[in-house]
Amino acid sequence: MFQLINANLGYKQSSVLTNISLKINSGERVALVGESGAGKSTLLSAFQSQMKNKAALIPQDLGLVNNLSVFHNIYIGRLNSYSSVYNLLNLAWPQRREVGKIKPLVERLGLVENLFKPTGELSGGQQQRTAICRALFQGGDAIIGDEPVSAVDKHMANLIMETLVEKFTTIVLAMHDVDLAIKFSTRIIGIKDSAICFDQSTMNLTRKDLDFLYKH
Amino acid sequence: MVKSFYKPDPVISRPQNTSMVRVSLIFVGVALFCFYFADISITTHDPWLEIDRMIAGVFAPDFLATSAIGDALLKTVSFAFIGVAMGAIAGFLLAQIFHFRVVRLLCSFVRSIHELFWALIFLQMLGLTPITGILAIGLPYAGICAKVYSETLDEAQTNALQAVPYGSSIISTFFYVRLPEVWIHIVNYTTYRFECGLRSSAVLGFIGLPTLGFYLETAFNEGNYSEASALLITFYILIATIRYWLRPKLIGFYLIFAPFLLGGGADIQVGNIARFLTVDIVPAPLRESSLLDASSWIDFFYWTASLINSQAFPGIIATVVLTQIALVVTGFLSLAFFPLISEKFLGKYGRMIGHLFLVVIRSTPEFILAYIFLQFWGPSMLPAIVALSLHNGAIIGHLMGRYSNEISLRPDHAKAIDLYGFEILPRLYGQFLAFLFYRWEVIMRETAILGILGIATLGFYVDSALADIRLDRALFFIVITASLNIGIDSLSRYIRNRLRLSRTVQHNSS
Amino acid sequence: MINNVPKINLLKKSFSFLMLALIWFVLSSPLSTAKASDTFVFTAIPDEDESRLRQRFNKVAIYLEEKLGVPIKYIPVKSYAAAVAAFRNDQVQLAWFGGLSGVRARTLVPGSQAIAQGFEDQAFFNYFIAHYSTGLKRSNKFPMKIAGKIFTFGSKGSTSGRLIPEFHIRKNLKKSPNDVFKKVGYSGNHTRTIQLVQSGAYQVGAVNSKVWENEMKAGKIDPSKVSIIWKTPPYPNYQWSIRGDVDKHWGAGFKSRVKEILLNIKDPTILASFPRKSFVPASNSDYQPILDVAKAIKLID
Repeated sequence: MFQLINANLGYKQSSVLTNISLKINSGERVALVGESGAGKSTLLSAFQSQMKNKAALIPQDLGLVNNLSVFHNIYIGRLNSYSSVYNLLNLAWPQRREVGKIKPLVERLGLVENLFKPTGELSGGQQQRTAICRALFQGGDAIIGDEPVSAVDKHMANLIMETLVEKFTTIVLAMHDVDLAIKFSTRIIGIKDSAICFDQSTMNLTRKDLDFLYKH
Repeated sequence: MVKSFYKPDPVISRPQNTSMVRVSLIFVGVALFCFYFADISITTHDPWLEIDRMIAGVFAPDFLATSAIGDALLKTVSFAFIGVAMGAIAGFLLAQIFHFRVVRLLCSFVRSIHELFWALIFLQMLGLTPITGILAIGLPYAGICAKVYSETLDEAQTNALQAVPYGSSIISTFFYVRLPEVWIHIVNYTTYRFECGLRSSAVLGFIGLPTLGFYLETAFNEGNYSEASALLITFYILIATIRYWLRPKLIGFYLIFAPFLLGGGADIQVGNIARFLTVDIVPAPLRESSLLDASSWIDFFYWTASLINSQAFPGIIATVVLTQIALVVTGFLSLAFFPLISEKFLGKYGRMIGHLFLVVIRSTPEFILAYIFLQFWGPSMLPAIVALSLHNGAIIGHLMGRYSNEISLRPDHAKAIDLYGFEILPRLYGQFLAFLFYRWEVIMRETAILGILGIATLGFYVDSALADIRLDRALFFIVITASLNIGIDSLSRYIRNRLRLSRTVQHNSS
Repeated sequence: MINNVPKINLLKKSFSFLMLALIWFVLSSPLSTAKASDTFVFTAIPDEDESRLRQRFNKVAIYLEEKLGVPIKYIPVKSYAAAVAAFRNDQVQLAWFGGLSGVRARTLVPGSQAIAQGFEDQAFFNYFIAHYSTGLKRSNKFPMKIAGKIFTFGSKGSTSGRLIPEFHIRKNLKKSPNDVFKKVGYSGNHTRTIQLVQSGAYQVGAVNSKVWENEMKAGKIDPSKVSIIWKTPPYPNYQWSIRGDVDKHWGAGFKSRVKEILLNIKDPTILASFPRKSFVPASNSDYQPILDVAKAIKLID
C-alpha cells in the first residue's frame, strides 16, 4: 500500500527525517507516536502524497472552511464524486439527499444541532469532529490523520476511534495519547531524533515500552 | 524634565520606522518644492456676496425646490447598483485570470481613467443613454474590483485545500474552499465600492445623466443654494444610512428593479459606435490620407510633438504639482481628523459630531468643494488643493479613527497630546502611510476632473479637446493621464513594498 | 428564534412598502415610458441658467407639437459638446446652436442646415465686463488695459463666450489669451461669468449681450460691482439647425414645415423668453464668417 526506501523527508533542503525505509500494508492500523516536532506530520504528508486518491485526510489544522456550515464542510469530502453543477446547487440549497446521507454521521458524533452552523462558530472539539465526519463521508479504504482526537474528551475519542476502525480498513494516525494508540492500532511506529526508532506490532505492548520516546 | 529628552522618539522606535520617517520627509520636501511652482494666490475681492447666500442656503435647505428630487435619488441609486454590480461581476471573473499580464495591464488601464472621463467618452459614442452611465461606472470598477478581488483571493488561507479529495473540479474547489474563505472580505469591499458607486453616480449628473448631480449642478450654477443644500443633505442621508437599506436579502430585489428606474434615453446606433472607433479617435493627420504615405506620418509626428509640447507637458507638470501638494496636505489633515472619531480622544457625543463632520466632507463631491472654495479665493490651485485634501483627509481620517479604536493601551497611558504623540500615532503610522499611498493614485485621478473646473491639469486639456469635438486629442490626453496614473500606482506599490506596509488595507482604502 | 420574529415582520413590511414605492415610481416616471421612435427631439446649448432654458424650450416644444402634429421633446444637456454630439448621433434632430457650435455640428453632419435665426442674431454682439476694482470704464475702443488682468471666458465651446472675445483679444493685443492675461478661466456659462466677475473672483470677463440683458432684468446684477466696458462689433450668432435626413423619417417637406413654423413664432411670451424680436430665415453661408474666425484662431482645423 505504501512504501519508502532510504527516503529523506522534509521541507526543501532541511530534511526532518533522514534515510527512512518503511512499508505499510493494506489492512494495517498504524499509530505514529513521538514528541511533537519529531517528524510525525512530515511522515504523514509523505504517505498522503503517495496515496492521493485512495485515502481520506484529517490534517492537523483540520482543513475546515470556517465560513461554511458543518454540512458543507462534510460534503467537501465528496466534491469529486459529483458534477460541479450539482455541487454548486448543493452549496446554495443543501440537497435533501445529501442531508439524508450526512445526518447519520453527525448524529453519531453529536453534531446534529450544529449541522448548519459555520464551523468557525464551533468549539475546537466540535471542529475536530466535523473534520472526522468529512473523512467518514469521503469514505474509501484508507484514512490518514494527524492527531485527530486531540481536542475531544476520552469518551468521544473512544467513540471516534471505534467508528474509524469500523469504516476504514487501513488507518494511519499520528497520536499523542499512547493508551489510545495501543488500544486501537495493530502496529506502532515511534519516531525520535529524526529517525524511526521503534516499529512493532501492538500485541502485548504496554505503555511503559513507549516511555523512552518521551525522555531525553 | 531632562528625562523626557531620553524618551525614544516614538516614530523611530522600530528599525523599519526610520525609513518611514525618511519617506515621509522626502514627500514633504517634494510637496514644498512643488509649492514653489504652484499658483496659490488669492484674488477674490468681494466673495461675501456669494458666500452669504451660500451660508443662508445651508441653513435653509429647501426640499421642495426640485420636484424631481425623489426621482433623482432613485436614479442615483439605480445607476450605482447596476454599475457596481456589473463592475463587481466582471471584476470577479477577471480576478480569476488576473495572473495574465495582459489582463493586469488592461485592468490598470481602465481603472486609471476617471468615471467622468469614461462617461464623456461614452457620451460621444452612445449619446445620453443609461448605458453611458452604467458603463462609466462599471468599466473602471471592474478594473478596481479585479485587482482587489484577486489580491484578496491570493491572500486567502488555503489550509482546507489539502482536505479536498483528489479529482475534485476546479470550479467546485473554488466555490467550496477558496471563495468562502474570503467571501466576507469580498462582501465588505463590494459594499464599500457601492458607497463609492453612489458618489460616482451622483457626480455623473454633472455631465448630464439624470442623477442627483444633474440638479446639484443646476442649483449651484444658478445660485439656488437652498436647493443645493437640500440635495446635498439628501445625499448625505443616503450615504449615512446605507447599512440600513443595503440588506443582503434585498439586493436581488433591487437589481431586478433598478433597470426599470434608469429611465429612457436616445437609441443607440451601431453606426455611431463604429464611427467613433474608426474615425473620431484616429489622430487627425492619419485620418484621411493613406497610412502608406510617409508625409502623413511626418504630420502625425508634428501633431504629437506639438500636443506634447504645448499641452501635455504643462498639463503633466500641473497634475503632478497639484497631486503632490494635495497628498501631503491630505496626510496632515487625516492626522488631525482621526482623533475626532477615536474613542481614545473623545466621548460619545464628541465622536458623534466628529462622525457627522467627516461624513459630510467625505461625501461632498470634490467638484462641489472646489467650486465653493473658488468663490472664496478666486481661480488658482488653492481651491483644488483644499478640496482634494479635505475630501481625502476625511476618508483616511475615518479609517484611522476606526483603527485607533482597536488599539489597547496600558491603564496608565498618557493623556491628550502625549497620548497622541507617544502612544497612538507611533502605532498607527505604518497604517497611515499605507492608506496614504493607496490614496495617491486616487488623488491624481481626481486632480484630472478638477481640470474641468479650469485648473490646468491634464483633465483641463481633455475637457478642452472634448469641447472642441477633437476626440483624437481627447483620447491622446486620456492615454497620457492613464499612463501617469499607472506610473504613480507602481511607484506607490514599490514604496509600500519597500516599507513593508500591510497589503490588506486596500479593502478599505482604494 | 423568538427574537427574530418582529425583525422579519419589519423586513417584510419594509419590503412590500419599497416594492409599492418602486412600482409607483416606475409607472409615474416620465422617462420610463418607452420613447416612440417618431418623437422629434431637439436640444439647445446650455448657455445660461438651465431652469430658464427649460421654461423657454418647453414652451417651444408645446408650440411645435401643436403646429407639426408629431410628438416633440426637448432634452436639456450639460455642455456645448454634448449638444453637438447628440445632434451628430441623431439623438436630436433639431438644435438651437450658437454660431460656433452650429458650424461645428453642421460640419460633422453633412446635409444639415441652418434654417432660422433670431432677428438680433444677424448682428449679435458681446460685452466685455469688469469688476469695479479694476477701475476700467466703458469705451468705444478695445480696452487695451485688460492685459495682465484675470480674465474669464464663458464655456470653452461658446461663440460669444469664447470665439469672438478670443478673436478680438488676439487681433488687438497680438498675443494669445494665455500670454495676455495673468490668468485665464472658463466659467462654464454666461450667467456664471457675470456672477464670478461680480464677486471679483475674475476681474474681467466676456459675456453674451442677451444673457446680460436677461440677468439685468431679473435683478441679479449689481451695477456698482460689475459694469460693461466694451461692446464688440456685430457677428452672426444663434440659429436653429436641423439634420438633413429628417424628411426621410417624418415625410417629405418636414424640414421646410419646421422652418416655416419656427419663422412664424409670434407668441410674445416665447419671443420674450429668448429674448428675440422675431425669427428670420438663415442659411449655412450666413455663418461663413464664424467658420473663418474659428479657423483663424485654430478652434477648428
